[in-house]
Amino acid sequence: MSVAAGEILLEGASRSFSVRADRGTTLKELALRRRGRGAAPVRALDGVSLRVAPGETVGIVGRNGAGKSSTLRVLAGIVPLHAGRVEVGGRVVSLLELGAGFGREFSGRENVELNGALHGLTREEVAARMDDVLAFSELGGFVDAPVKTYSAGMLVRLGFSIAAHLDADVLLIDEVLAVGDEGFQRKCLRRISQRIAAGATLVLVSHDPGAIERVCERVVVLDGGRKVFDGPVSDGLLEYHRLIGIEHGGGESVRSGPTVVEDVELLDEAGRARHVFRAGEPLRIALRLIEPPPSALELEVRDESGRSVFRTSTSPAGEAIVFEVERLALLGGDYDLVVGDRVVRFSVADEPGGEGVADLRGTWRAADLSETAPSSGGAAA
Amino acid sequence: MRYRYLLEQMVRRELRQKYKGSVLGIVWYVVNPLVLMGAYALMFGVLLDAVQIDDYPLFLIVGLIVWVFFSQSLLAAATSLLEQASLVGKVRFPRETVPASVVAVQLVTFLVLLGLALPVTVAVRGTLEPALLLLVPLVACLFAFTLGVALAVAVLHAYYRDVQPILAAALLPWFFLTPIFFRVQDLPGLDGRGWAEVLLRWVNPVAPFVEAVRDVVYAGAVPGGGTLLYVALASAAALLGGWALFRRLQGELAVVL
Repeated sequence: MSVAAGEILLEGASRSFSVRADRGTTLKELALRRRGRGAAPVRALDGVSLRVAPGETVGIVGRNGAGKSSTLRVLAGIVPLHAGRVEVGGRVVSLLELGAGFGREFSGRENVELNGALHGLTREEVAARMDDVLAFSELGGFVDAPVKTYSAGMLVRLGFSIAAHLDADVLLIDEVLAVGDEGFQRKCLRRISQRIAAGATLVLVSHDPGAIERVCERVVVLDGGRKVFDGPVSDGLLEYHRLIGIEHGGGESVRSGPTVVEDVELLDEAGRARHVFRAGEPLRIALRLIEPPPSALELEVRDESGRSVFRTSTSPAGEAIVFEVERLALLGGDYDLVVGDRVVRFSVADEPGGEGVADLRGTWRAADLSETAPSSGGAAA
Repeated sequence: MRYRYLLEQMVRRELRQKYKGSVLGIVWYVVNPLVLMGAYALMFGVLLDAVQIDDYPLFLIVGLIVWVFFSQSLLAAATSLLEQASLVGKVRFPRETVPASVVAVQLVTFLVLLGLALPVTVAVRGTLEPALLLLVPLVACLFAFTLGVALAVAVLHAYYRDVQPILAAALLPWFFLTPIFFRVQDLPGLDGRGWAEVLLRWVNPVAPFVEAVRDVVYAGAVPGGGTLLYVALASAAALLGGWALFRRLQGELAVVL
């Protein structure tokens, strides 16, 4: 049975890696039968079954060593399975290989040819894409200079431009792209969205719940090489947070200072504890304080760089208090909620419509003349 | 073939990296066999006065370029997959193209040398024999044979890292046992040692290739039927065997590299 373009099928996929024996084995060792039987092989994938329909966007999360990267390598066709079946329909492009196989003496243009050929394009297909790729890469006059003169950023930009123009049916991405400056990154994300809109399937592996929630409509949680969850993003990320919570306290940490807060929870509308919220969603911060409650309590939200975004204080009326946020007016990103001695990391999933920190919820429309700022003549009249 | 364009691109990259885009780059690869030829011609032809072969330097160079092509291809192919480890570990493409492009680059050098030697031999003989047409299938067979062995060596070296050093050590005695600076039938020590002749002529798979190419280029003669048959069968066997071994072992390449 074959699969349609963009479709992914994993059935009982298992793969293990031996930790030692594979590397540096020699014929001499083989002849002397001293082949290391020391460490037991590690099961990277243990009977994973997964079916992804064309056009789906799937995020894979899990702790380190859960089998995320192995899954991508299996889907990319780089590593074969020991048991089970993998089928991926159409052209698979993984964005983990940006710039792999560049010839250093070659110009940017020549490397586009080489890389296109590596991905199975014909001469004509490469020629048809050449101008778009070079324009997208923003390399300007450097396209005809040898790649060895490029900066690291330029290399990645060229690499992404090539990958972005391969017309992938399945896109594999490992961690969020760190391609060039912010402007170029946005351009990359737009390009990826376009491919998805055109029916491409996306598989994204990330440690960043915000990125997963921004991009994906489905989450697969892996743990110890097994699939432990497969379903909607918010439930999947909850499951993921439960998993990593076992290891290090669910994104919470403690600051120095006297203990005043015993428990902090970020709740959504339905009263479920979450760490990822959509911009504009209602949010409730539920606090349980020590007895007797302190006379004053400060609550602060900081962005990733530690800059204070919002600060307020109260004199708690009891040991259990709630800070009610009607509409989370933050834009996509990671934030720290600092209450007393507690710090809770949470993410806001991006909604297109603005950039920056605050979500002003404005809309654009055509204006009537009477509404526009009065000119000097108008003011006199 | 679907990946012809890929192979072409990889050969271009190899050529560029090897010759660094300079004219002197390729000159070095031409000079190297010429220096070897000079040294052997001086030692065996003049100082030892051990051979009675007309135009001995020409006799030497024809054998040498076959040997240099074969041995350099194997040595370069052995480490080729390792050198492209990052590519093999990240992109899915037919991995045969890595050693194949290395051998193809050596073929370019081989053809340049052959293109230099052939007019000289023809001019020295003063005749243009139809046997020269045999050169085309012979070179094709030599390429197929070398490619087959190179595929096997490349994939084996990826698994067992002492393949290349063992190969490098074996190539020197192998060179001396290959009829490059002598003709097997001229060897005085062969009397009463038929096994040695069989060994030199037929057990060493490179020997028939050297003799066949030399028959055509140096002597302008058609090689013996047995030699031609051997060349055809050996190249088919090497290519099929090498490719089968490569296919069998290539799945784990991303893991072992």
